[in-house]
This record gives sequence, C-alpha cells and structure tokens, in this order.
Amino acid sequence: MKRKFLIIGLDSAPSEIVIDRREEFPVLRRLIEGGAHGKMRSSDPPITIPAWMVMTTGKDAGRLGLYGFRHRTGYAYDKMWIATSQAFKERAIWDVVGDHGGRSCLVSIPPSYPPRKVPGNLISCFITPDNEKDYTYPKELKAEIEAKFGPYMFDVVFRTEDRDEILKEIYAMTAKRFDVVRYLMKTKPWDFFMFVEIGVDRVQHAFWKYMDKDHHLYEPGNKYENAIVEYYKYLDGRIGELLADAGDETVVLVISDHGAKRMKGAFCINEWLIREGDLVLKATPKKGATIEKTPIDWRKTKVWGWGGYYARLFFNVEGREPQGIIKPEDYEKEREAMIERLLAIKGPEGEPWATRIIKPNEYFAEVRGDYPDLMVYFDDLYWRSAGTLGYDTLYLRENDTGPDDAVHAQEGMYILFDPLHPASRRKDIDITDVAPTVLTALGLPVPADMKGKVIA
Amino acid sequence: MEKEFTAVSIPTALLKRVEAAIKGTDVSSVSSYVAKVVQEALSKGETKPEVFSQEDEEKVKDRLKALGYID
Repeated sequence: MKRKFLIIGLDSAPSEIVIDRREEFPVLRRLIEGGAHGKMRSSDPPITIPAWMVMTTGKDAGRLGLYGFRHRTGYAYDKMWIATSQAFKERAIWDVVGDHGGRSCLVSIPPSYPPRKVPGNLISCFITPDNEKDYTYPKELKAEIEAKFGPYMFDVVFRTEDRDEILKEIYAMTAKRFDVVRYLMKTKPWDFFMFVEIGVDRVQHAFWKYMDKDHHLYEPGNKYENAIVEYYKYLDGRIGELLADAGDETVVLVISDHGAKRMKGAFCINEWLIREGDLVLKATPKKGATIEKTPIDWRKTKVWGWGGYYARLFFNVEGREPQGIIKPEDYEKEREAMIERLLAIKGPEGEPWATRIIKPNEYFAEVRGDYPDLMVYFDDLYWRSAGTLGYDTLYLRENDTGPDDAVHAQEGMYILFDPLHPASRRKDIDITDVAPTVLTALGLPVPADMKGKVIA
Repeated sequence: MEKEFTAVSIPTALLKRVEAAIKGTDVSSVSSYVAKVVQEALSKGETKPEVFSQEDEEKVKDRLKALGYID
C-alpha cells in the first residue's frame, strides 16, 4: 500500500465544538487549516450502532439490517436481541484492505464484540460484558495489552450521580486507550488504523447541561462549566502525540458518528399510545415499568413503542404478529393515520415540534433484518423517547432510565487531512462518503455497492 | 420501496383445515397462523450462536439502559 490511513473516531463529537471552537484546540486547528472539514450527515438512525458500521461499510442501515442496539426477534412481542459484531455481514474497509495484502489495527469500533478474525489486530468495544472474556484478535493480544497496561477499559459506569467520579473514570479510560493505540501503532504492522474514543460521548452525556446555556437545567458559574471543553483539550494533546507516531505521510481523518445537542426532555411514547387508545394494558403499571414486563392486552392493541434516542413503533398486524388485529389491507392506512397524529404532537407548552418520521420499507432502497414499522425523531431528536410506563405526564424533563443531559444530533463532524496535499476547505459530507474516500486514498478499488462519493 | 405484505396461494383444503384448527384459540386469523408456522419452520434452520449468556446479556442491557440507548 502506498499510503497509510488513520481514522480517529470521536463518538458523538459535534462540529459546534470541534470546528467552531478550534481556537481552543491547536492540533485539531492545524488539521482544519490544512484539510477538508465540516459537518458529516450521519446514518438514519444516527445512533452509535449502526452508524460506525454504516461509515466503515459504506452501506445504510436498511442494507445492514440494523436499526440500533436492540431489535425484535422476528415478530415476537417480547423477545429481543442485542446487535453484536456477528450481526454485521457486509464487507468493511479493513476487509478490502486485507484482500489487497494490507493490514489493519482496529480498536473499540462498535460493535466489535465478539472479536472477529480480521486481517490485522482488533480490540473489542463497550458491549464486551467484562474483561474475563476474550476480547481481542488474535486471542494472544489480550495478554500482551494487559501485561503492559492492565485491564482494558471499555466504558465508564453511568449509574451514579457522582460527576467527579464519572469524570475521573472518563479520563482514566481515555488515557489508557490512547496509550494502547500508541503502542499498537508503534509495534504492529498496519496500513489502516482506526479507533473510536467513546469517552467523548460519555463526557457529553454527563456534563452537557453544565456547559450549554440553552439547556433548561443550566446554572451559570457551575463547577463543571468547562468539563467538556477541558476534556477536548486533553484529547487535542493526545491526538498531537498520535499524529507524530502515525507517520508524516499518513492521511488522517478525525470524525464522529453523529453529533450531540441539549436534551429538552423525554416524550412518553407508550403513555401517549395508551391515551390514544392504540395500546391497551391488562394491569396498571408501576412508575418506570418497561413495556416488556407489562402485561398487554394484545387483542385490543394496535401499536406499541420502544424508547431511546429515537422511537420505534410496531404495529400489531394480523398474519404477522401472533395476536395481530390490524388487517394487512389496512396496514398502510393505519400507518398514514398514525404519522399524521404523531406530527401533530406539540411540546409541553404547546410549542410546535419539528418531528421527523421514517417508514423504513419506503425510505431505504433495500430493507433487511428486524425493522420497525415507523422510526420517529421527536422534535428533530431534541426530545428522546421514553418507552417506560406509569407516568402521569407525557413529558419527562429527565431521561427515564437515568441522568442524561444530551441527545444525538443528525450531523457530526469530520476533518480530513492529507499531509502531502494540505488545503483547507469547508465541505459537508455524508457518512457513506468515508469508505470510498479511505479506499481511494489507499489506492484500492471501491466496491460498486459502496454508494458514497470520494471527498474531494 | 418494498410493500410490507404480499399474498401467497394455498390450497383451499388447507385453508379449511387451518380455520378448523384455530377455532376457539387465541390465533386471530388464518394469515396469522400460517405466518407463525412459516416463521417457526424457518427459525429452526437458522440457529444463531448465542453470543451472550443470560447473565451477560442482562449485564449488557443494564449498561445500555443506563447509557440511554434503550429503555
């Protein structure tokens, strides 16, 4: 391979911080001033899984058959499965690199558990249950890494309100990851190197309300006002070290999988469906009860939902669901009627929402896997979706499953820097443009089913 | 764009047998019964290896809930 390519993945990093505040980050600023940079339109849905895989395979969620971390098992009411590395069958950048005799180092790209055989080296990501598991390829890499760096840190615990503790853990995790990445960079052969730093997403989810003056819980002069930006400054320094290790002619791409913005609240989708008469329960739920553990009267239920950063709605259709009641010939009519009702939903003060709704089987050119009947982004994702039950309101001002100040934004950021052809230019791209760009930079052919454009 | 539903033909005799079989049960229609049986038959041939033990799956789900990805 004539060139080498390094992708520095910063999960959830928005252009509003990285690019707009570049004056505070000297290393990133140098890359911006010498490279293509701008917003990166993420996948639909703009969630960590499948976004990183959409990016590295150049295929959309419909083609990948993956719409988030969890999926219904077929048309079962209460069985679900978690997306792991085994759910991804499409060829990624590193497969093409391997086909042409090249080697890759891949660190914590979601989802990479269980670790798969790759042409090179791999460390898995935060869906690894614990350090007892094999989490590397080759298997022996785990002992090598742990001997030098101690147990690898996949993620931080997000169950506590102790912000100081969370911050300490985020820094410890990031420091270790960069140390491991530098070690691999210097000791393993590679033509393509990619890692994802999940600490960016975690620091934003934990500290956004302290930084964003528009957040409804922001308090001026608070202790953590600069926590996020200080973390980015730390990253900036560590990225500088990495660039020195990566080689003078290595093409560098700093990129996120989607952006981030303040959370306005959580909309209780299943509570709304109950009030609309679409979802009928057999018993009164306790506050915070999950839909899976709540007995539902399926013979009277037409629609139910799942929460998260976006909502998934499922229709109870005869001939599809075990106790379906909507006739197949009425399915489209019911979907259209539901869409109209969803678009009419306003905020708690009657404010209009810019809600976006996707019909997966129409939106994606090809739709595979266990897809929902509707994908709903309430108020352009500003309002996450709460699928839990037992509330006397439709609007929660905090996440139903724990503290969370930020939601995802459709657009992330990217900086593409080729040291042999420095040229600053502002250009927004699509997430599917990455794979063709990387392969072209490496002098490799782009498979015909990677639809994105090479970033020029 | 793909339509969500399509029609298949089965012998009328089979249809009558299904109607008799589902009478008085929870199954709402012939289509529901046929879809269920076909799905079960297909799943038997598509066994996916278990990635997570029950315990590990609960561990990962709890983590994902705390991170706000699922509820």
